[in-house]
Amino acid sequence: MTKGSDGGEGLPGDILIFAEHLEGRVAPSTLEVIAVGRELGSRSGAHARVALFGHDVRVLADVLAGTGTEVLLADDPALAEYTPDGYGQAARAVVESANPRLILVAHTSQGYDLAPALAGAMDLPLVTNCLALRFDGERLVATRRLLNEKVQAEVEIASSRPIVATVRPGSVKPAGPAAGGTVTVTPVRVDPSKARTRFLSIERPQVQDIDIAGADIIVSAGRGIQKKENLPLIEEFAKALGGVVGASRPLTDMDWLPKTRQVGQSGKTVRPKLYVACGISGAMQHVAGMKDAGLIVAINTDPSAPIFEVAHVGIVADVLKLLPATLKELKR
Amino acid sequence: MPLNIVVCLKQIPNPDLQFQIAPDGKDIKRDALNYKLNGADEYALEEAVRLKEKSGGRVIALTAGPKRTEQMLREALAKGADEVTRIAFDEAAAYDVGKVSRLLAAAIRTMPHDLVLTGVQSDDLVNSAAGGLVAGLLGLPHASVVTRVEVKGNGLEVACELEGGLQRLYSVGLPAVLTIQFGANTPRYAPLPAIMKAARQPIKELSPAALGFASWEAVPLPYTFAVRTLSPPAAKGHAEMITGSVDEQAKKLAQFLRDKGFGRR
Repeated sequence: MTKGSDGGEGLPGDILIFAEHLEGRVAPSTLEVIAVGRELGSRSGAHARVALFGHDVRVLADVLAGTGTEVLLADDPALAEYTPDGYGQAARAVVESANPRLILVAHTSQGYDLAPALAGAMDLPLVTNCLALRFDGERLVATRRLLNEKVQAEVEIASSRPIVATVRPGSVKPAGPAAGGTVTVTPVRVDPSKARTRFLSIERPQVQDIDIAGADIIVSAGRGIQKKENLPLIEEFAKALGGVVGASRPLTDMDWLPKTRQVGQSGKTVRPKLYVACGISGAMQHVAGMKDAGLIVAINTDPSAPIFEVAHVGIVADVLKLLPATLKELKR
Repeated sequence: MPLNIVVCLKQIPNPDLQFQIAPDGKDIKRDALNYKLNGADEYALEEAVRLKEKSGGRVIALTAGPKRTEQMLREALAKGADEVTRIAFDEAAAYDVGKVSRLLAAAIRTMPHDLVLTGVQSDDLVNSAAGGLVAGLLGLPHASVVTRVEVKGNGLEVACELEGGLQRLYSVGLPAVLTIQFGANTPRYAPLPAIMKAARQPIKELSPAALGFASWEAVPLPYTFAVRTLSPPAAKGHAEMITGSVDEQAKKLAQFLRDKGFGRR
């Protein structure tokens, strides 16, 4: 399976990146993965290429080529919308013909739909949700975070077969513009009659609520508030600061607050002047949506909670005791 | 249309706890951990039981793990699984999701399965890989991050969550594999009589031989995998901490917020 060495640091074969796009735009995470691929390529002498699937997406191919990489464009009506089956077929075809050393995909909803199934179907090694990747001779070394960000792991995989890896969004800066990119039209055979998953539609959340993305001050509640009955306390605190109430995922999952209030990867990305995290541990999925706030204040009973890593000001306290006391002080 | 449903469950250390690294740096210290059913798998189990209640059929809960996982399997029985099976894979840590998925796929091949469900991720290793791997290994269609499942004709209609709150809807033919998202439903509590009954129900155990392997070490893999080191993550930064009693903290926080121009005066 392994191609002959081509002058790199003991690393034969290319790096193949699968691009993601939605509604006419390249996913920002794809540009991050290109940055990872370019960096790995420049260190090991491997050539990083991007595979783009879609229909009438030449414009997107040019955007990707703008990062200085070679884009393999597979245009087919059957690939107009992502489906696990359609893109899976196309991905297998490209991997078979390109025989890369490493396959990179963003660890997004779509990316971790595609990558593990590809690895399973082609019997390939897989490592997912990586913060960093490097080659150590023949081995791929991945840095990952476990157990609610409390443990860091380095794992290694070695194989004569292409390794599939997914990269956690937000781990690196997106690839900037560079010269030398090209677009190579690469037809792949996709048989729609073999597709067992069919795209139906994209559904948007019903918006009948304030848009927290536009707020200057957000006070967000997490599991640390313990009961739905404690929400009025958060609301009162938000009001005292002239802000609005946001939430971490568990609260909107339990319907304590509408989905429109959820801050994080699967909810809203916010950049308020002040963000107060009340009883929120700071899982990656939440932090991704608020880390760029101007001033972050975190209140949590667990001194090892990862939220204190991104907060500017932290308080180890029970939010149910601290907020009433702070409200009293603010009213003085 | 009755459905034979296999739901893959994982028992994980409660991620709200503090963790210490074992002396060899290859695992966390496990002697004092308490374990629980993985969060997203609770939703997968509930979805499986609801689909069975609506369409008829059976739910088999499946796990790969040491003896301690029997407690989780009894919980699954009490919450509506008809049968439970433990792949007697005793590796406590099981960091290689590729290997665990190959065991799950081998076990599923021995069971009737119209639908395979699992959680979207495990909160200990956060791979989000087992469902997709199993689908690929079994050659089944799949969909990930599923928030809604409906039986339509001979197949399913599912909604899959994307970033930013969008959902992508698919129709999926059966048999299929779905990974279920947090919040897809409201998991039930097990009623006491069901818990009592579950304590007496049998747990099927699968040995390597039952899955066609000479031993767990002899499971064929197209790669070698190893944990190099575990470590406490280097803090990217750390908040400036406000200390003292609650009243002192409150006073300092209020002052700080006012100094920064927040709070009505």
